[in-house]
Parts: sequence; C-alpha cells; structure tokens
Amino acid sequence: MSKLNATDVQGFVLRGYNMPHARFCFLHFQNAAAGRHLVAQLLGSITTGQLWDNGKPQSTLNIAFTFKGLTALELPLATLISFPDEFQQGMKDRASILGDIGKNSPEHWDALWRGADIHAWVAIHALTPETLEAQFAQLNAIISATGNIHLLGSQDAAALVIDGKLSTKEHFGYTDGFGNPDYLGVCRNTQPGQGKLLPDGTWAPLATGELLLGYADEAGELPVAPVPHILAANGTFMVYRKLHENVGTFRAFLDEWGARYGAGDAAAKEKLASKFIGRWQDGTPIELSPDAPDPSIVADPNRNTDFKFGNDLSGSRCPVGAHVRRVHPRDAFGFNGKLVDRRRITRRGMPYGPQVDPTTPQDPATLDSTDRGVVFMALNASLSRQFEFVQQQWISYGNDAHLGNEKDLLLGTHLPGEKFSIQGDTNPANPPLFCANLPNFVELRGGDYFFLPSITALAMIAMELVDPR
Amino acid sequence: MSNINGKLYAMNAITPMKPWKTWILRVIFFLLWHIKSKQQDLINLSFIQFARWVIIPRNRFPSLSSGQKQETLTYDYLLFFSNFNGTWNQYIDAFSAVLSTGLNLIWRWSEKFPGSVPVTGFKEYIARIQFDTDYYYTAYPEATANDTKAAHIVQGALTTLATQAAAQTPEQFQAAYLQFLLAVQTHLGDTGDAPAVF
Repeated sequence: MSKLNATDVQGFVLRGYNMPHARFCFLHFQNAAAGRHLVAQLLGSITTGQLWDNGKPQSTLNIAFTFKGLTALELPLATLISFPDEFQQGMKDRASILGDIGKNSPEHWDALWRGADIHAWVAIHALTPETLEAQFAQLNAIISATGNIHLLGSQDAAALVIDGKLSTKEHFGYTDGFGNPDYLGVCRNTQPGQGKLLPDGTWAPLATGELLLGYADEAGELPVAPVPHILAANGTFMVYRKLHENVGTFRAFLDEWGARYGAGDAAAKEKLASKFIGRWQDGTPIELSPDAPDPSIVADPNRNTDFKFGNDLSGSRCPVGAHVRRVHPRDAFGFNGKLVDRRRITRRGMPYGPQVDPTTPQDPATLDSTDRGVVFMALNASLSRQFEFVQQQWISYGNDAHLGNEKDLLLGTHLPGEKFSIQGDTNPANPPLFCANLPNFVELRGGDYFFLPSITALAMIAMELVDPR
Repeated sequence: MSNINGKLYAMNAITPMKPWKTWILRVIFFLLWHIKSKQQDLINLSFIQFARWVIIPRNRFPSLSSGQKQETLTYDYLLFFSNFNGTWNQYIDAFSAVLSTGLNLIWRWSEKFPGSVPVTGFKEYIARIQFDTDYYYTAYPEATANDTKAAHIVQGALTTLATQAAAQTPEQFQAAYLQFLLAVQTHLGDTGDAPAVF
C-alpha cells in the first residue's frame, strides 16, 4: 500500500491518546451555515494523526457527525444517500438488531440521547483537568461566537486512579484496553496477537481498509463509502455507547457464585471473575496463565495479547463464552482465524462517573444507581459488518461459538432462564460451573453512530465544497 | 414465502452453463466426491446445515404432463441448494473468505460468474441468480445445526450416566457426574429466537 497520509487522518482514529481526562460534547446545528462556520473555526485545532515526536500536547480536539448532522450541514442528497444504511438509520433504529431491548431500549436512555437531535460529537482529551477546562473554554467561546449552535450536553470521562496511579481499569475492576488490532501503515510497532493470524501461526497487521475508508480491506476491495471518494478517504465510522455499570449487582453476583466455585474462598472468587472476561483483573490472559495472575505477562507487549484458543476448544482454560474470546475468537473457529479478520473493531473506551471508594462500604443499590460506567467508542470501516456483527452474533448470541443463544455475561441483555457456562476440568480448583439467574450488569444509556471525516473532508464540509461527482 | 424460517436460511441458486463446460464440471464433481479431504472446509463451516450442487442437463427438465411441450434449451443448469444458520451476508462472506478456490472451481463454468473474491461482485451475482423460497418447512426453527448436534451428544451422555447410576455408590456417581459435565460442557447452548435479520 501507499504510505498513509497521517496528517489527513484525525489523530483519534490512528491511536489511543492515553490521556487521563476527556469531555465529549454533543452539538446541534440550528442551520447549515452555523454548522459549516463552526467546522471552519475548529479546523485548525483538530488533532491529526501526525506523530508526537516532541511529546504529547496538553490536550486534543476531534469532531464527528451523525447522519442527522450531515443532513443539517446540507450535504448534497446524492452524497447523503450514498452513506451506508445503518449509518443513515442511526443506533436507535438499530436497537432490535443490536439487542438493545428491555432496560437498554432507546426509550430508557438519558434525556440527552432521547431528546433533540445530536448532530456532532466534539471530543477533548487532556493531560490534566486544567488543560481540559482550558480547551473546553476555547470551544465554548467559538460556539458562542458562531451562534446558532447548541451545546446539548457533555459527558466527562476519566481514567481511574488506583493506589495513587493512573490505571486502565474500569469500575468492575478489570483492566481494559488490550487487544486493539494493528492495521497496515497505522502502527509503528505491531504486536503479536493484534492483527490477523497467518497460516504459519504468526500475526500480521490487518488491511488498512478495515479501519479507514478509501483503502483496500481484507477482501481486497474498497470499503462501502459515501461519494465523492475524497469525502470518505481517510475517514471512518464511530460507535458511541454510554454503558452504565451496575457495580453493586456485579459484586453481589460474584459473591454469590464465588462461594459455590472451587474452594469458595477469595482466590476462587478472583478466579471466577477472570473466567467472565478471559483476563485476570490485572489483565493477565487466563489462556496463558490460568491458575494465577502474572504481572510479567501484562507488562510485556509481546506476550499480553499473544495467545490462541485452538488448543483450548474445551474452554477449560478460557471459557468459550468469556468476553475476550467472544469478541476476538482468534483461531477458535478454525480456518486460521479467517472468519474473524473482517469482524475486528478498534476500541477507544474510557470510564466515566465517580470511582467506587474502596474505604467506605456502600449498599448494592447505591452502587448500582450511581451514574458510572464506560464510554464505549469503537472505530471501523463498516458499522454493519464489524461492530453490529460482533454485537449481535458474538455478544448477544452464541452460535458461532457453539453456545446456542447464550450471551456475553457482562454485556448481554439477559432474559429470565438464561445461563452462563464456565467450562472446567477435573482439577477441583477449576470445576465446570453454570451460572443462572443472570442479572443485567451493564445498561445502555445512549449513543449513536458517527462519521469521523478526514481533515480534507472537514475542509470540504466547512467550505461547502462537497460535490457528489 | 420467505427464505428464512427461524434460525435457518434456505438458498436456491440456478446458473446456466454452456453444455461443453458441463463435462468439465462433471469431472470436477467426480474428483471432489472421491477426495473427501477436499470437502472438509465446507463441512467445517459449522453454520452450514447442508449444501449441494446438482447439474440439471438441458434435456432433463421434468415434464409435468404429457401435454407439456418439450423445451429446447441452449444451456445446461447448475442448481445450488443450501440451508444455513446466520445471515445471508455472513454466509457469503465466509464462503468468499475460506472456500474461494473450491467455489471458483465449481462455479466458474457458469455464465458471467465473477469469481468469489472480491466478495461484493460475488454477492451481486448470488443475488441475481437466487430464487426465493416458496415454502420452507423446518422441524426445529429455534435450533441451529450446532444445537441439534449438541443435543445428540447431551442425550447420549445423559443416557449413559443414567444407565450407570443404578449400580453406583454415591462417590462413584459423583465422579461419573463430573465426567458427564465435562463431556457435555461445550454442548449446552440454549435454543431460542434467532437474532434480528440484517
């Protein structure tokens, strides 16, 4: 492939900023001229994929649009109708496909996501709370000066602080953020376990077109994209989901089933928690180290994602339905992982809400009702082929893994009568366990599909230069 | 009048072939039939319940009554019939990703076949040659092929456990029950509603 023009791609697409503070602002354009003017004003400040050879900036700025936003910006009809169906529909109308039912259905979402149409997502990431506020103040000033732009609401997110240090943990206690795919031209260093599996057992980066529009994908063709090509190229689609975490429910469930697992002690509980996800809470993959966490594996990028499931088809090390195995089955379905390569997504999640205070005990109801969870953001070239497929077929269903209708334990919307299978072996510390009466650990509180355009495309939008042919 | 019944999808596809090419395909079918290892990839795609290609020679179309006039056809036809679990897109994506060589070998003798890679052209082709299902009966619309196979394994293991149990001490039964669980633990998926079609 030709070299990637990183300065034309928004930085958020090419790398996780790994900054501890973030604010996601949701805007509504009163009219197209105001929207275009805002994009023009922000254009020079948008963080690109250019490498930070002189160290990280204090803060970053990125922007993306819903289909309603692009419509409000009055892109030509021929361009608008060339966007993929699922993006045109938006996440609300895809609820039945995504399994967003019951408490997760759109009528239960936060008012922000139920109410006035969200047109744009503007993201600020920052190294400190002060630099976050400074960048936000600038954004607000531009919004006020532009006029006819409504800031409908915003969502703060921040890395959790554990023992005085910034962490990549989420509120249930799991370490997050492993296992984003590598793409050709996108990463400086590739990591074993991160791309696609080759017949010789090694890993190679995925085709760029699995992430970015305008490049060949794993099928050797250009991803489905809007016209004109220059509007789409170097852009991508983003999923935004506010996932509330019921921490009290999670802890009570772990206590209840931990007492019935193996020796029923604290070690058994810790092991059981690892079986839900496929990693110990410190991040050690249980496929590599099933009996105890191993910090040396977590610390080593050449090992912490380098594992396969082909020799564990019984699931006795990592359960067949464990989260990491569902969302990235690697070689579990055979064919050297070829059934998996076109279902990968890049995640940019961050925790939100107050950190659970370990020193003050709280009752489960309060732990559940506190507004905290994970802002799940995922990037992919095709929302339907990648994110929606994973969400429907591998999170909310199990046939590919021979699990029938079983769902992901933590992310699935569970109905009465469902169970979660944890395979085991003859070792009394690693018994099979079948959890029943599954509560809903995570609740969707809102979200949508966004188009994250290239810098060129942003300029075209700002200057009203989008011509379909 | 749907190709879908619960978790199952029925696909019928018919393509014309120039008669001289039919002979090549007959040789290929003969070889594929006798070299079982060549069928393994198709068999290993666990969401396929059934897939079969049949050649219908141009003079062998059924005559439904004595009054029906014999047609003169220019082409022989290749009928493809398959039942699978999952979405249409998933099925063709998988075909294109892991079976492209075999599919090309079978379908390349059909008119206008674009090749199974890249997948977009292949999907357009399938959409054009597909005949929709008039009536679709399936005994277990809430079960996939995997679910049905799993049920047989669980039933077999349960019968064995029950037969042995009568003569076992509680300790022996405890050990036998653990072995039973280990034998069935990857075959306990629930049947139920199919995911929404998309």
